[in-house]
Amino acid sequence: MNKAVKKQDYTLLIIVLFLVGFGLVTLYSTSAWNGQVKFDDAAYYFKKQLFATILGVAAMYMISCMDYHIFIKLAIPGYIVSLALSGAVLLVGDSYNGSKRWLSLGPLSFQPAEFAKLAVILFLAYMISSQKKKHKNFFVMCMVMVLVLPIVALVGTNNLSTAIIILGIAVIMVFISNPRYLPFIWVGGGGIGFIGIFLSMESYRLERLAIWKNPEAYEKGYQTIQGLYAIGSGGLFGKGLGESIQKLGFVPEAQNDMIFSIICEELGLAGAAILIIVFMVLIWRFMVVATHAQDLFGALVAAGVMGHIAIQVMLNVAVVTNTIPNTGITLPFISYGGTSVLFLLAEMGLVLSVSRWQKS
Amino acid sequence: MLNIKTYHKKKIVVVFTLCFGVLIFLVGRLGYLMLFQSDYYSQKAQELHERERDIKAARGKIIDATGKVLATNKTVCTISVIHSQLKEPDKVVEVLSKELGLSEEKVRKRVEKVTSIERVMTNVEKEVGDRIREYDLAGVKIDEDFKRYYPLDDLASKVLGFTGSDNQGIVGLEVQYEDVLKGDDGQILTMTDARGVELPDAGEGRLEPVAGNDLYISLDSNIQKYIEQEALKVKEQKSADSVSVIVMRPSNGEILGMTNVPEFNLNEPFTLNVDSSSMSDKEKQDALNQMWRNGCINDTYEPGSTFKIITAAAGLEEGVVSLNDQFSCPGFKIVEDRRIHCHKRAGHGAETFLQGAMNSCNPVFIEVGLRLGVDNYFKYFEQFGLMDKTGIDLPGEAGTIMHKKENVGEVELATISFGQSFQITPIQLAATAASIVNGGKRITPHFGVEVRDQDNALVEVCQYPVGDQIISEETSKTMQYILENVVDGGSGKNAYIEGYHIGGKTATSQTLPRSANKYISSFVGFAPMDDPQVLVLLIINNPQGVYYGGTIAAPVVKEIFSNILPYLGVERDPVTEAESETN
Repeated sequence: MNKAVKKQDYTLLIIVLFLVGFGLVTLYSTSAWNGQVKFDDAAYYFKKQLFATILGVAAMYMISCMDYHIFIKLAIPGYIVSLALSGAVLLVGDSYNGSKRWLSLGPLSFQPAEFAKLAVILFLAYMISSQKKKHKNFFVMCMVMVLVLPIVALVGTNNLSTAIIILGIAVIMVFISNPRYLPFIWVGGGGIGFIGIFLSMESYRLERLAIWKNPEAYEKGYQTIQGLYAIGSGGLFGKGLGESIQKLGFVPEAQNDMIFSIICEELGLAGAAILIIVFMVLIWRFMVVATHAQDLFGALVAAGVMGHIAIQVMLNVAVVTNTIPNTGITLPFISYGGTSVLFLLAEMGLVLSVSRWQKS
Repeated sequence: MLNIKTYHKKKIVVVFTLCFGVLIFLVGRLGYLMLFQSDYYSQKAQELHERERDIKAARGKIIDATGKVLATNKTVCTISVIHSQLKEPDKVVEVLSKELGLSEEKVRKRVEKVTSIERVMTNVEKEVGDRIREYDLAGVKIDEDFKRYYPLDDLASKVLGFTGSDNQGIVGLEVQYEDVLKGDDGQILTMTDARGVELPDAGEGRLEPVAGNDLYISLDSNIQKYIEQEALKVKEQKSADSVSVIVMRPSNGEILGMTNVPEFNLNEPFTLNVDSSSMSDKEKQDALNQMWRNGCINDTYEPGSTFKIITAAAGLEEGVVSLNDQFSCPGFKIVEDRRIHCHKRAGHGAETFLQGAMNSCNPVFIEVGLRLGVDNYFKYFEQFGLMDKTGIDLPGEAGTIMHKKENVGEVELATISFGQSFQITPIQLAATAASIVNGGKRITPHFGVEVRDQDNALVEVCQYPVGDQIISEETSKTMQYILENVVDGGSGKNAYIEGYHIGGKTATSQTLPRSANKYISSFVGFAPMDDPQVLVLLIINNPQGVYYGGTIAAPVVKEIFSNILPYLGVERDPVTEAESETN
């Protein structure tokens, strides 16, 4: 099993480190005003993020040095732990901005939903790769999907956006594992129909659509329209790093979901496009790692991480540019969120580890 | 452990390609937003970030002929709250309601309203603003501002007018000279964050305000005060509806005083001077408009016998009558099928034209009117400027209401010749009469003399040139002679003051409808008659009891003359004085 160990994917590593560094700089610039106003400390958010990042880089390094195959054994326990944590947060979680998403442990707080993404990637990779020759059976693959529904339901109770991401990762992994295309098109079509019915069932969901079409006409479109003001203010080359005015309270919680709009305002179309290209390169490296993996487990882990990052980047940019209705999705490595950056870096460690065990 | 199959790789590439496509699309979307929609959104964002604060320019003063300031500015405060900066809203509500005398609910509503800045009260006295500032409440803003202030309260209120909430002129000279007085507002342009707090390093644009210019007017506050007193006195004595007085220089049209009593307090222009408790809002507004109305220029009346000055001037100028022409008055004159009475039913008997004028004899003037004929008569109306507005520098001047020329028959001609059946404004009568006695040059009545800036440098001299020669100097001299005789021994004798050459003409006209038995009693006087330096027109509207102009209006004008002629430095005739001593 243990084949010759190759060098890890340095391109991937450099891109990740660049994103982490760029993310910290942007986060400090974006959150300074909010930190000053709310906590009397301009570096309040930055310090917390820096702490999580240091932890995350350490985790990434450790995991990248490990043989990723040991995670085969950890896949099922990890999934059970994530179910337990997601259940616990519903009972004893802390609320922030009206959402119960955090578990506290002394001074540290932890978002189980972020851990669930990693757990689901490992769990599905293990389940699919252990199904022996049944991959061509679409029904079996659907059963695999059913296995992740409990976590989707638990997370979705108070964090619909993350549940959608988890579901999306699962769909991508099942799609990759099965040779057929047509059933997925049916499932995709069915899913769109289901979403349509789901939306029209409740008027408040339709309201979200109306806000999406004309954010200026609704009070709830405030965040969207402020994001658009920031984006539009950027122009080709932006106002310069740190020069955003929209981050001064106009875009609410600018360091969170809407941070990309501030990047647009400060760095312009050029900067924003370069950032998206960097993400594209990152996703491309995931694809390279996945297709060159030594075995299906490794390939699925890398592909799952690829799906995770790609979904979040696409949805975040689409929401910020009001291409789709507003839903709270963070931009990987850039948006504020300690748990998020910690587990993202852990995932990077996994992919780097997979990259070391490539076939020649 | 399973190995990767080709289809796994293919599918991974498919997923990557799809994601790649979506991201490329999103870059396109970004490009659309940031290049093509950029102007729209950045404009909107700019509007959101910028706060423009106007700095009001000080309005120019209005200064009378004696150098007294009639209209100026006073510092007042505007109190606002900035919602996001409030720290102790309850204390703010308490302090503001106490200091401003507003109800707590009203203040609370403003304080709790989520806006970037909310005005609580404007026009707050400076002392109150200073007191509130001393509480040092976070989120409470006190801006100083100017408010128009009239030191003499109700003096010449209908001439000066007042300003509205934005310091813009609403009536009177304040609106007529708006461009001169208003100045240019300045502006502070700042960038703020979402709380409305100004950003320290965002460049602040500042445009300094330019104060308005001062307007110097010909009105003399001493004369104005005096005529207001006299007008009020006669209004009370005769229980009249209103009394109007115009004091003007016949030589150039400068107005020294103009009143319509009752006047109103310019510092409280929206407070009615009558009981308004039972009025509806519309009635109140109508009453306010009525109170602000300047009857001397906004209203017309039938001038009555004072108009005989015009008839006489036209007749003399046309040569259809001369001083010594003989007339006979049997107490009436038959025109077509009408018998038109003289005010003296018994008739004046045989009289010359001069005597007819002194007697204010209607048949004499009817005869002159008929001799002139419609065409000639209307030619002189045009020539005298009677058919146009005078062009006085006050807003809302009413026009002359005259018969259409083609509808004027002999009867109409007869009534016009003694000043009835048509209407003109008091200022039109004053201006025309002044033009007839000043040597025959049409003048434009006006207040504005010159405009000076805040450094007292002359900006502009108001131009009201003496206009066309409307009658010959000779006719003008004759008119002076006739009018002096009217006062010396005719119907205007109650305006006679020893030692002054005063001329004038009385009038008593019945208002429409004739059945109401309401009268307008008036007198127009000039002094000194050989070189008229001042004209006084007095109109008593609906006097009770005796209503003859010669009896009730002439004595008031005499009072006014006896006070203002010495004040204006018009010397008494030494010869007459000697005579009176011998008497």
